[in-house]
Amino acid sequence: MLRTLVALAGVLLLPACGEGRQSVLNPSGRDALLLYDLALVMFVGALVLWLLVGGLFVYVTRINPREMSRGLAEGLIVGGGVLFPVVLLGGLLVYSLPLMQAPREAGEGMRVHITAEQWWWRVEYELPDGSRVTSANELRLPVGQRTGLVLNAHRVIHAFWVPALGGKADMIPGRETYLSFLPESAGTYRGQCAEFCGASHALMAFETVVMEPEDFEAWLAAEARDATPPQTQEATRGAQVFAREGCGSCHTVRGTQAVGQVGPDLTHMGSRVSLGAGILGVTPPDFANWIAHTETLKPEVAMPSYDHLSPDDLTALAAYLGGLQ
Amino acid sequence: MTEITENEDAHEFRSEAVSLWRITFAPLIWAVHFAACYGATALVCAKDGAVDGLRLGIGIGTGVALVAIVWLGWQAWQQWDLVRDRDWENDQGTGEDRHQFLGHAAFLLAVISFIGVSYVALPALLIGTCR
Repeated sequence: MLRTLVALAGVLLLPACGEGRQSVLNPSGRDALLLYDLALVMFVGALVLWLLVGGLFVYVTRINPREMSRGLAEGLIVGGGVLFPVVLLGGLLVYSLPLMQAPREAGEGMRVHITAEQWWWRVEYELPDGSRVTSANELRLPVGQRTGLVLNAHRVIHAFWVPALGGKADMIPGRETYLSFLPESAGTYRGQCAEFCGASHALMAFETVVMEPEDFEAWLAAEARDATPPQTQEATRGAQVFAREGCGSCHTVRGTQAVGQVGPDLTHMGSRVSLGAGILGVTPPDFANWIAHTETLKPEVAMPSYDHLSPDDLTALAAYLGGLQ
Repeated sequence: MTEITENEDAHEFRSEAVSLWRITFAPLIWAVHFAACYGATALVCAKDGAVDGLRLGIGIGTGVALVAIVWLGWQAWQQWDLVRDRDWENDQGTGEDRHQFLGHAAFLLAVISFIGVSYVALPALLIGTCR
């Protein structure tokens, strides 16, 4: 008995061990908070019901096991079996349904178009003039503003989920779905594809960086600019390797010859917080590791492993990509 | 079997055939209301997303459906005749019992149809968006 209780307490305390970067128990957006409150109300409601039904059962079978009067029995069946659940479920519906509206509204802020690929995220920020700033595998949002997310998918179904910021939405090829977030505190929150989408589904994550509005504006302005030319000799050589190996036929680096649309846009790769859709850091060894072992790190990914490159070439490429700030 | 009882049976069957039809009316209203709500919502949201008119339509349709179900339920309640004879089961196999049992069944179906129609309408009335 004691052991069971300790195990149960352990399970309840488990979320406290992590940082809560990907946890519904660490709501950091208006919508996540709504869902958290909703879950609490439902849980407490279910607990009260369970205690009530269990208590009634114990009362009529153990404490007072006499035959009931006809009127009491009929009242119990009609009242407890029909009226009470209808009113309770009706009340819960009336309470919860309006809550589902806000997370689907476009909001007054910016719109971001996110397309799920196998297995990464194409992210496009829509500017007021209708033009788009393309990025990938990272979502940046201003704190305190409701940002609309227009979701789509390429080839197979995925699902978009940042547990700390809000609800989950399916991403369906050929059909736009909508979600919106109103983050309430700056920070970095992990998102994850939440619908099985193939071999590397579990490796399809991303970071959501919530920034102060002025920081966000500065970041977006920088993101909209073309890539910075290589600053060091090493990076310059990396750019040559990048061109020589044909990386530009799949990847775009704005302001260069690289205009491929198959893989993630790399224009500001060096300023992102993760690599390979949330599975690696962005240090030079991470870049070298990823380029040489893509197929090992992410099974069935479209990008081949460039394991024929010499260590020097890999280091140079890492310097070039890391310098794309 | 004499001719008289045969006639009585035929007469009784004819009158109960109406009750037998009657118990299907409330669930039928529920089914039509359900199909109409979902169909209209799918059409409007696929076309222009003008949900205000849709919600008004669903609201009016729901009102009409609920009034009809309440009326059917009231008829069935009277046919069941519970208050007068306090007979819940009507299990004697007589003509009167069959008549009252059909009322009982129709009443319960009207209750569940009322709940069904109300719950189907709630999302349309409380969520003002196609998203």
